[in-house]
Amino acid sequence: MDKNRILIIDDDQDILETTGSLLSYEGFEIYSADTVERGIEMIEEISPHLILLDIMFPEKKTRGFDAANEIKEKYPDLPIFAFTAINREYAFDFAKEDLKAEEFINKPVETDKLVKLIRKYL
Amino acid sequence: MQVSSKLESTEYTDLNKVIGWFIALRWIAWLGVLIALLVINFTYHYELSYNILYPLNGLLFLVNLSFTIYYHVFKQRNLSRKEMGIFFNVQVCSDYTILFLLIYYTGFLENPFSYYFVFHIMLTSFIFSPMVVFIYVGALVSVFIAVSLAEFYQLIPHFSLNIAAISSSYYDLIFLRAVGLCSTLIIAAYLINSIKIRIEERGKKVEVELSHYKSLDKTKSNFILQVTHELRGPLAALKGYHEMILKEITGKIEPRTRETLQRASRRTENLLTIIDEMIDFAYMKSEEEVRYDKTDIRLKAIIDYDIDLFVNRARQRNIQFVSSCPKDLTIWANRDLLNIILCNLITNALRYSPAAKTITINAMEDNDRIHILVKDEGMGIKPEELPSIFEEFYRSQRAREIERDGTGLGLPIVKRAVEVLNGKITVYSEVDKGSSFHIYLPKKNSQKDKEEGHG
Repeated sequence: MDKNRILIIDDDQDILETTGSLLSYEGFEIYSADTVERGIEMIEEISPHLILLDIMFPEKKTRGFDAANEIKEKYPDLPIFAFTAINREYAFDFAKEDLKAEEFINKPVETDKLVKLIRKYL
Repeated sequence: MQVSSKLESTEYTDLNKVIGWFIALRWIAWLGVLIALLVINFTYHYELSYNILYPLNGLLFLVNLSFTIYYHVFKQRNLSRKEMGIFFNVQVCSDYTILFLLIYYTGFLENPFSYYFVFHIMLTSFIFSPMVVFIYVGALVSVFIAVSLAEFYQLIPHFSLNIAAISSSYYDLIFLRAVGLCSTLIIAAYLINSIKIRIEERGKKVEVELSHYKSLDKTKSNFILQVTHELRGPLAALKGYHEMILKEITGKIEPRTRETLQRASRRTENLLTIIDEMIDFAYMKSEEEVRYDKTDIRLKAIIDYDIDLFVNRARQRNIQFVSSCPKDLTIWANRDLLNIILCNLITNALRYSPAAKTITINAMEDNDRIHILVKDEGMGIKPEELPSIFEEFYRSQRAREIERDGTGLGLPIVKRAVEVLNGKITVYSEVDKGSSFHIYLPKKNSQKDKEEGHG
């Protein structure tokens, strides 16, 4: 498998560790960033094939949402999976349609489902 | 709940102020009557029944003095709802009686000031319900007719104003009528405008309070949102760690450890369901109008998506999903609500089904409705418990035995969600054979609804 580099951007260290471990167990090469800024820097460095991005950051609820759009502007071909712990659309501060991400996923997600979904894009 | 009780209390303070206003108006009326009596007595020398009229005016003074003391001193301008009702009635009755007597002893229908009853009716209408007002007006009219007839048949004496007979000038009569008419017009204008201003003020106050509560509610919703994030986040991590250990990424584990961890994992999943139920419940209870945007939704996609969420859990217990839904069946509805309905019903079906059973989800349409059926082969619901299952926090004895964790909010949420979509839900159940929940949703919501949704 040559296209298998995944960048996870999430402020929750435990999510980085668990999702990271579970995905690398499935054979992916995992990189993680705990801030949006660091994540965007890392895209340059490692040129990932897919990004898992938590879109709700505590300091600013829509920080990840903006980041998704920033990344999409620079790297239009890089698939983004947007993650959020909020599972009801009416609780969002934004319209889901405005979010430039390939997939929209609620935490927690079952690993085998996530893997299946990732394989669709790689 | 809180909002409505607070709004009532606004009305409350306002009505307490109205009592003060009534008492003030009565003092003005008392002074007016006194001045009028003195003027007529000492300048015009009319032969009125002063021996009755002065004491009547004195009675008005005493009555209003006792009202003033009761309201300002005893009750400190703060009457309860019940006290207020009684007090308003006492005031209206005494006002009607005293004015009636004053008019009766000063020529009755001859007296142009008899129109002053209009003011009493206005003020009564401001306070009481139409029903009560018409009872008062009816009583007043009846007394007027009865007294007129009694005077006509000379059962009671008539106290004539007799102006034309006493006064040499016909213009005195005209003058009296002019004073009566002009004062009526001025007082009417004053009263109606005062009432208008009071109503407007009350409206403004209600608006201010409403916006205050809306903002509080917004805070509450944000709080819930925060809690969602805060609770679901750690649970996601917890689930991840369980999975890591179970997959032996962290090292080999003993069968007993595996079993223990599987239990822990199951409880974690239950906790997640409970959190979701609490969130949905809080939102549905929220006074804030959560805007449930509607779109055309392919029902099959929703059903497949929701079943997929539970497939793994069902597989663990060898439970099978069977679903049928026409591919092109679309529904004009809110995605969240449809998901809430289906997820809750599937959660229940899974929870209360023994292993190796089937859960059926069917959707179809007829001329004007869309039907969704969620059927399980689980433990069923006892007939005597059926009426309670949509009650908040209700859990049947057997439900508790089978599944310890649960809020008893799942079905009330489903019911509420169905109602928001203008639909209906019915349930059919047989103990040990299973339950089926039948949801009817309107196929075409009204055109207006559709326009609102698009706008």
